[in-house]
Amino acid sequence: MEEKFVPKIVGFVCSWCSSAGADVAGSAQLNVPSSFIPISVMCSSRVDPALILAAFLRGADGVLVAGCRPRDCHYENGNYYARRRFALVKNIIKSLGLEPERLRLSWIHGSEGQRFADVVTQFAEHVKGLGPNPARKRIDL
Amino acid sequence: MTKVLKINKGVEEGVKEVLKFLLENERVKGVFTLRKTGRNGAVTYALVKDPSEIDNCVPLYPLMPINAAKSLSTLTLRESLSESIALFVRPCELRAFVELVKLQQGSLENMLILSSTCGGVYPLKMAVTNNTDRNLEKYWTTLRAMEIPSDIRPTCKGCEHFLPYNSDMTLISIGKDIDKSCHVVLNTKKAEESLRGIEEEISDGELVAEDMESLRKRRISEREKLFSDLKTEDFGLDGLIDLHGKCIGCHGCSSVCPICYCRLCFFDSEVNDPGFSSYEGEMRKRGGIRVPPKTIFYHLGRLSHVGISCVGCGSCSDVCPVDIPLSTIFLKIGNAIQGTYGYLPGKDLDEKIPLQTFEEEELAKFEQ
Amino acid sequence: MTKGAVIPKKGTTEKAILDFIKDAWEKNCFDSLLIPVEIPSGDSYTYLLIQDPSLIENASPLPPITSVQGARAISSITRKGKVTKRIAAIMRPCEIKAGVELHKLEQADLENVVLISVDCPGALPLSDYVPDSKTGKEKFLKVLKEWGGESVRPVCKTCLHFGAELGDLHIATLGDENSIYLIPNSDKGKEMLRSLGISAEENLSAWDTRISEIKKKKEENKKKSEQQLESEVLGLEKLLETFNKCIGCHNCMRACPICYCASCYFDSDNTEHDGTDYLDRAENKGALKFPCDTLFFHLGRMSHMSLSCLGCGSCEDACPMSIPVAQLFSFVGQKNQELFGYLPGMDKEEKVPLVVYKEKEFEEFEDSH
Repeated sequence: MEEKFVPKIVGFVCSWCSSAGADVAGSAQLNVPSSFIPISVMCSSRVDPALILAAFLRGADGVLVAGCRPRDCHYENGNYYARRRFALVKNIIKSLGLEPERLRLSWIHGSEGQRFADVVTQFAEHVKGLGPNPARKRIDL
Repeated sequence: MTKVLKINKGVEEGVKEVLKFLLENERVKGVFTLRKTGRNGAVTYALVKDPSEIDNCVPLYPLMPINAAKSLSTLTLRESLSESIALFVRPCELRAFVELVKLQQGSLENMLILSSTCGGVYPLKMAVTNNTDRNLEKYWTTLRAMEIPSDIRPTCKGCEHFLPYNSDMTLISIGKDIDKSCHVVLNTKKAEESLRGIEEEISDGELVAEDMESLRKRRISEREKLFSDLKTEDFGLDGLIDLHGKCIGCHGCSSVCPICYCRLCFFDSEVNDPGFSSYEGEMRKRGGIRVPPKTIFYHLGRLSHVGISCVGCGSCSDVCPVDIPLSTIFLKIGNAIQGTYGYLPGKDLDEKIPLQTFEEEELAKFEQ
Repeated sequence: MTKGAVIPKKGTTEKAILDFIKDAWEKNCFDSLLIPVEIPSGDSYTYLLIQDPSLIENASPLPPITSVQGARAISSITRKGKVTKRIAAIMRPCEIKAGVELHKLEQADLENVVLISVDCPGALPLSDYVPDSKTGKEKFLKVLKEWGGESVRPVCKTCLHFGAELGDLHIATLGDENSIYLIPNSDKGKEMLRSLGISAEENLSAWDTRISEIKKKKEENKKKSEQQLESEVLGLEKLLETFNKCIGCHNCMRACPICYCASCYFDSDNTEHDGTDYLDRAENKGALKFPCDTLFFHLGRMSHMSLSCLGCGSCEDACPMSIPVAQLFSFVGQKNQELFGYLPGMDKEEKVPLVVYKEKEFEEFEDSH
């Protein structure tokens, strides 16, 4: 019997906007795929590119970085730096012929519970289409 | 009286059978040994859980990509193993790990230790040019004749401690019948228990050290030659500078050394960082100064920190981008330091490292 | 059209350069000199910071190899404490550029340093030169004559900043058999020449022509090298094959001038895990290679330093397993630098891209309905 592929998404979610969004989604009982693993960070700018790589190389099928929209960052400008770091690491993955489509950066406002649910669901769908991350099974990584 | 397991296969196949048996029958939950990876045949250590992966393993491959003691320390630094694993490592790697355990950098708990009468390993450069495979036949022929393969690491050629201490099982991998029959000496009850039910012959027997004695004598004479060729006693400052002058300060030697466990090495730390006023002072005294400075200080300093535990594995020489014969120097001077205390690193787990202990009365010749 | 000073040679190119340096020193243009010098055993070179001009005798402004990356030397001298003497540093263009990057990263202080670069045909691989320096020197003479060729390091074959206008003063050796050219690139450089009474107004068309010829050839090399990388190294499978000989010694990281962290993230507690983590991973995959996280180290290092990567090649020189790290890192480095529109090592007042931002940028990377 064929095993149904449930993609594992690791999400670095900022404490202020995106987590609040997640809370709203939860309290409204919106559908969020249970294969989503949130990791709370104070600000999206905390996300060192190495953390995205760690999740990716450990075999996460998708890695999501969620932060406040530009202008809404609790620390004023953390998300601008986060955007640059994300662009950098995605470009590295792309330049090496790995799968940049498994990385996504999304801006989510604290009150946007539906958006949070939508982002995660859509990303999970997208990643499902890519299939399981081959890095997960590789012994020699 | 110990027991000996006899398998009617060559040694490599025989030891794989043992490892597979242990894993399939859940006597251990994992096996740590050398494994072939990828199409171009690179060899690395691996922690194996799936018994079918043992087919890809090459426990006796004559290469040491990393001193296994480092990996064993990585596995057990924070806490001892939560489930048992069997490991197949070389005698010097085992000794280095015992030293690390004494330094609280690892734990031997839950380990079933397999080792062999070691024939030596090739320098890593041979793996770079994919030549190790080409030399395999010659390597094994030489071991069958109980001779020393000519191109192995210099410190391997001169190693007299090729019979493992502290192993639960010792594979006899040198001798005339190793291509046909595999003898594994079971040194401990733990080893016997782990092989309960194996469909192979187990009888009373032991590792007869006298059989290896002539090889050991030849190794000792190689070591004497190695040490006398590098006349460290005649070096002086000029000799030291001549030998270490090309050092590029990469500190790879420290990075691969199993005994060098400090996360931030003293020689890389702020304390050792010169600052401009220091440069100015040195320039005034000497007219000029090498940049980065303190190359000899680093090498002699590292020697003073780890020489007492050096097992002469040879990893440092292999990693050096400019081929400084570090392992010969470290082993030679290390041996001298160890000799002061009659200490053999890694032999006896209960014996403290001499710098971690003292006698009330000793070393009077150093006092004045 | 580049302008500079034409200085007639009296002897070899190397002598002409050293004579100019000695002259500038005697006339108090600087207090001490940082320059490569051959080591007593004759099989390599080291940087010396010299106060005593007589020590310049065994110096080589352009040695056959780069043993220690010059920027590491600049950083070692100027990173800590106030630099109270004027230092002239003479080295390869890639070393100068790395020095400028380190200044931006606050790991070097270039205020009292005059950076002098030299036209560079490339350097020999360290492992080719050191075992037999006699043959190495002959090879390098050929390299100088052909201006490059087969024996230089792979990254040197595709390097486009070999004759670039960077640093404070550039010494051009191409273009004219009988002279060297001095090209000031900054106020410091202009001031030095002015104080020596050297006019820098000559048109250096011969040099310009030669440089663009060589650049064209290098660009062809670059295209070929990228195609080769794409077919041999890129993609998960081939990447893993490329790195499966990696022993995790981290020589590449330590030789790299940009990697300045005394305690690297990838050597720290952050990358140390409980035994159960390794056992679980081995269970999931069937087996786990040791040392593990090899690709994580290399890709992680790329994510930390690639925007400042100069393609200097020191990493590949230091690798004991001959993995083509410099070729790969400089390839990815360039892709990232293109993405950010950033050219490392040029302007020491320019900030590195990750410490600045624009309100609207990289829209193709964000999802923000």
